[in-house]
Amino acid sequence: MDTITTLEEEKKGFQLSDRWIQIITTVAIIGIWELLSRSGLIQPVHLPSPTRVASTFFYIMREGYPQDITIFIHIKATVRRIIQGYLLAVVTAIPLGLIIGSHFILERAANPVVTFARSIATISLLPLAIAWFGIGELSSVLLIMYGAFWAILTNTIQGVKQVDVTLLNVAWMFGAKQRHIFFRVVLPATLPRIFAGMKIGLGVSFMVIIAAEMVGTVEGLGALIQQSRLYYRTDITIVGMIFIGIFGLIISIGLDRLERVLLPWAVGLEEVKR
Amino acid sequence: MASDDSRGKVEVRNVTKQFDIENPDQGLAIRDINFTVQPNEFLTIVGRSGCGKSTMLNIIAGLLSPTEGEVLIHGKPVTEPGLDRGMVFQSASLFPWLRAIENIEFGPRNIGMPKEKRRALAKDLIKLVGLEGFENKWPRELSGGMQQRVAIARAMAMDPEILLMDEPFGSLDQLTREDMQRELLRIWETRKKTVIFVTHSILEAIYLSDRVLVFCPHPGNVRSEFTIDLPRPRHKSSTEYMAFYDEIYENIS
Repeated sequence: MDTITTLEEEKKGFQLSDRWIQIITTVAIIGIWELLSRSGLIQPVHLPSPTRVASTFFYIMREGYPQDITIFIHIKATVRRIIQGYLLAVVTAIPLGLIIGSHFILERAANPVVTFARSIATISLLPLAIAWFGIGELSSVLLIMYGAFWAILTNTIQGVKQVDVTLLNVAWMFGAKQRHIFFRVVLPATLPRIFAGMKIGLGVSFMVIIAAEMVGTVEGLGALIQQSRLYYRTDITIVGMIFIGIFGLIISIGLDRLERVLLPWAVGLEEVKR
Repeated sequence: MASDDSRGKVEVRNVTKQFDIENPDQGLAIRDINFTVQPNEFLTIVGRSGCGKSTMLNIIAGLLSPTEGEVLIHGKPVTEPGLDRGMVFQSASLFPWLRAIENIEFGPRNIGMPKEKRRALAKDLIKLVGLEGFENKWPRELSGGMQQRVAIARAMAMDPEILLMDEPFGSLDQLTREDMQRELLRIWETRKKTVIFVTHSILEAIYLSDRVLVFCPHPGNVRSEFTIDLPRPRHKSSTEYMAFYDEIYENIS
């Protein structure tokens, strides 16, 4: 036990210096970026300076872009769509993955379908989504769901398949019935892998937001970037990018925290494996 | 009374296990094995890796079914695992998502024992295996020896008549291993059980057992049998001990 606490303390000390390195790196990147833009080496239309991006941000915050659609409206629209699409993916992919993973025949049948479907770039499904679900919220949300769904599904299936056979034998030896084996062994053993899939799926849903918001909307960070592209407003593009990045970061930190609370027994297991 | 006498009695009759039916020469693990374990006897199966000793144990456990022959436990043939048999595996195989005490409660919980009752039972077993103060640790926080103690307690929680142990101390360092051997004998003497113990260590076999079966490979079979009639605790450096060692060693080679 002593060794574990000291290791954790050591890590805390490390994280503090990590934090400083992160701050210094961020400041340095912004500084070099500003210098490059001001020196005239790079055209402002190719890469607007950080100060320009900041003033654009304040402009969108006050006036909105397009007119009256402020940054808060964009953020709210995007976050709502991502949460809806992502949650839909989570509640469908996890049960399906658990069922497929526990049945050898289903797993073999699903394998090519899953590989095929996850290889299709979500953006290429845009015309189909519009044809089926029309222009509007439903198409956006379902495209996000599609993006996140496959990552969660494949990881859940793999997680079930990788449950230690000895643990199943232990359960069998110690009087576990079929439903005990599922709820007390297979499910908890699969949870870390499900979380891994949820994190990857979340990343994917942020990546497809641009495509998802191509569908007849002016509200949303993806739509904002689309608009800015039409008018060569690279400064607005960068504002949109930064916010998408920030929200991606916040939600993955949230998921990490949730994982630590829900799976305290798995904390450090990955580090040990590495 | 007759049935009471046979509680914890294990009879292995003409057991053959062939893993690869199409290639009989390839997949033969054990052939035509016969032996009987008396109630409360401590029997050890010793042999080189690949001699089929773990296969034999898994058949007694009911995790594998024999190709031919049968295993009888107080007269009834084994078809699947049952609560009359507890098992301790090679790696402790604790559930990583359950705390030490919850691992011990796993079996009682499956058979629907009420929470207070199984908690009290698990606390007694924690004491029996000497893990007071570690009840609420996760398995990853325990040393290898402690994990095996939890695994033994988990098996004892079902109060089985027969305890099956598959090289339980194989992955422990020498000193911990000797501690665990002493502990196991102490537990076996407090709560009398039939023990079938598999190991490749001859010293361990002589230290623990009433009787030692030597298995030989290709195919796995019982080569010889030794009754260890030395009083316990046994001293590994005594002349009688070494005499047994030499004799068994010659049989294994």
